[in-house]
Amino acid sequence: MIKYLPLIIRNVFRNKIRSLFTGASIAVSLFLVVMLYSFLTVQDEMTEATKIYNRLIVMNVQGLTGNVPIAYVDRILRIEGVKSATPFSWFGGKYRDDKIPFGQFGVDAESVSEVYPDYEIPPDQLKAWQADKTGCVVGAVIARNKGWKIGSKIPLKGDIYPVNLELTVRGIYDGPSTTDREMLWFHFEYLDEALKALNDPSAGNSGIVVLEAKSASMMPELSKIIDSTFASSDAPVRAMTEKQFQQSFMEMMGNVRGFIRYTSIAVVVALLCVAANTMAMSLRERTREIALFKAIGFPQSTILGLFLSEAVVIGLLGGIMGAFGAKLLFSVVDFSKIIPGLAWLYVPWSTALAGVALATGIGLVSGIIPAYRAANVSVIEGLRKVV
Amino acid sequence: MSDNHADSVVQLLNVSKGFTRGAQEIPVLTNTTLHIPRGDFVAVMGPSGSGKSTLLNLCAGLDRPTTGKIIVNGQDLGALSEAKLSKWRSENLGFVFQMFNLMPVLSAQENVELPLMLTPLSRAERRKQAETSLRIVGLADRADHYPRQLSGGQEQRVAIARALANDPVLLLADEPTGNLDATSAQEVLDLLDSLNEQFGTTVIMVTHDPKAARRAKRMLHLEKGTFVQTDIDELEADFQKVAR
Repeated sequence: MIKYLPLIIRNVFRNKIRSLFTGASIAVSLFLVVMLYSFLTVQDEMTEATKIYNRLIVMNVQGLTGNVPIAYVDRILRIEGVKSATPFSWFGGKYRDDKIPFGQFGVDAESVSEVYPDYEIPPDQLKAWQADKTGCVVGAVIARNKGWKIGSKIPLKGDIYPVNLELTVRGIYDGPSTTDREMLWFHFEYLDEALKALNDPSAGNSGIVVLEAKSASMMPELSKIIDSTFASSDAPVRAMTEKQFQQSFMEMMGNVRGFIRYTSIAVVVALLCVAANTMAMSLRERTREIALFKAIGFPQSTILGLFLSEAVVIGLLGGIMGAFGAKLLFSVVDFSKIIPGLAWLYVPWSTALAGVALATGIGLVSGIIPAYRAANVSVIEGLRKVV
Repeated sequence: MSDNHADSVVQLLNVSKGFTRGAQEIPVLTNTTLHIPRGDFVAVMGPSGSGKSTLLNLCAGLDRPTTGKIIVNGQDLGALSEAKLSKWRSENLGFVFQMFNLMPVLSAQENVELPLMLTPLSRAERRKQAETSLRIVGLADRADHYPRQLSGGQEQRVAIARALANDPVLLLADEPTGNLDATSAQEVLDLLDSLNEQFGTTVIMVTHDPKAARRAKRMLHLEKGTFVQTDIDELEADFQKVAR
């Protein structure tokens, strides 16, 4: 089939407008599918990457709507196998004119860097933060996007909680691409004391508690012990790995994976129809040519191969444009500036290549019926046809 | 017709062909026997629906007879499967059509190379052979032109070059001048004539035009699926009347 490649390529581009539109529809759809799947892939990658840190999340059995009493942190720390633990409490305050709140968490400044060693805070900045109760550390990406520097003031207006926080940047953390560099960490105590001063019922509670186990092998047993320790309390909890936490978090938003999968299937089916229609139109226009090919001795298998190859080339080109276009776009454009919280999202090579393979497969499948019909064109009828 | 048919390129032995339309059986060729010797140039004439194209299709193995046997260049076409017939056609036949049927996306050179793609020839060999064919039809200087850049006569000459490329024993031409002006038609007929004379290629040409038919070594006239004797002068007079 290689020797027919120039012929295949020229046939693909013989109707440039149609090929362009077909290629573009494949490209745009593939762009969408690749982006959606990257969302899942990168999340999985990030969760996988955190495995080595032996972290467990302790959450109220009611989920994120419930709280974990702060007193649990000390009790958890006393359990054999727990190395370190920190409250991790979502504040959700409003920063200036931001429409969507970025990740603001009340943590224990002494232990959070032990629990999260992958989040790298320069030692002098860590000390400065630990020494300042109204201090905070921010991720390198959000600091860059908001223009924050050491010493910058960050006022957060309480939305969930009836308190406002006046924070000062004391440190900027960084880390590998698997870390979330768009968060702000402040002293849990600062929030808790403000709530206590108001006699707010949420005082003394954290959203979740994150602990570091001494070893990975201890984690299943630790989870059971923590669950049973607080089972009869007013606030029973459930300990889980970061992966399980991620899954339950996603489930809270609905069946995101299912949504992405079904959306992708719908896109693929629509693409199949578009590509098959293009090939069918091409076949109708070229019946005489196909008949000529057969008359001069081209076997059915070669004609089948020629048409299938054309469909594959259209799919491949659309796939390259869409999937690699998405990869390129996410490499060049910093989406965290446009949509906060998306700094972690990128298109992995595996997903981009899978997208190209998918588009090629779509091309192949869309070409089967038209190619089969082309291979079976009657020479006599075909040659008689005046287009 | 000679009784000794050993040198026949085409032999139709008691061939009948009919088509079914609904419940009706329409006979196109009836019990036809024909021998065309090697190096012959035969014009097949006849009114529309007389079976001319069917005869050509049968000789090319594009269609199969209802009854009878067709032997071309010593090969009984009925004994070949569709796949083997394709291969056989690529090795033995050249086609020239009324509508030229050139690939618009290929240059003249590439169009001529098309049948050679089925051979084990290398790219360079294919190119060389295509150049030779284009030189024979006088279009070597138009090798890189696309069909849309050629006149009708030139397109047909490229089609003839394509038909010649694989050095066929039999050239089948279906109304080769039907779409051409008088001058171009003459050029194409001259070309077919010289191919027959110089290279000994056997030519079967279906035509409505008695002037074109006169260029052949002999003429066969089909009417209602049977060969009949006719006076070509009479045919030409009728043709002129219709043309006017």
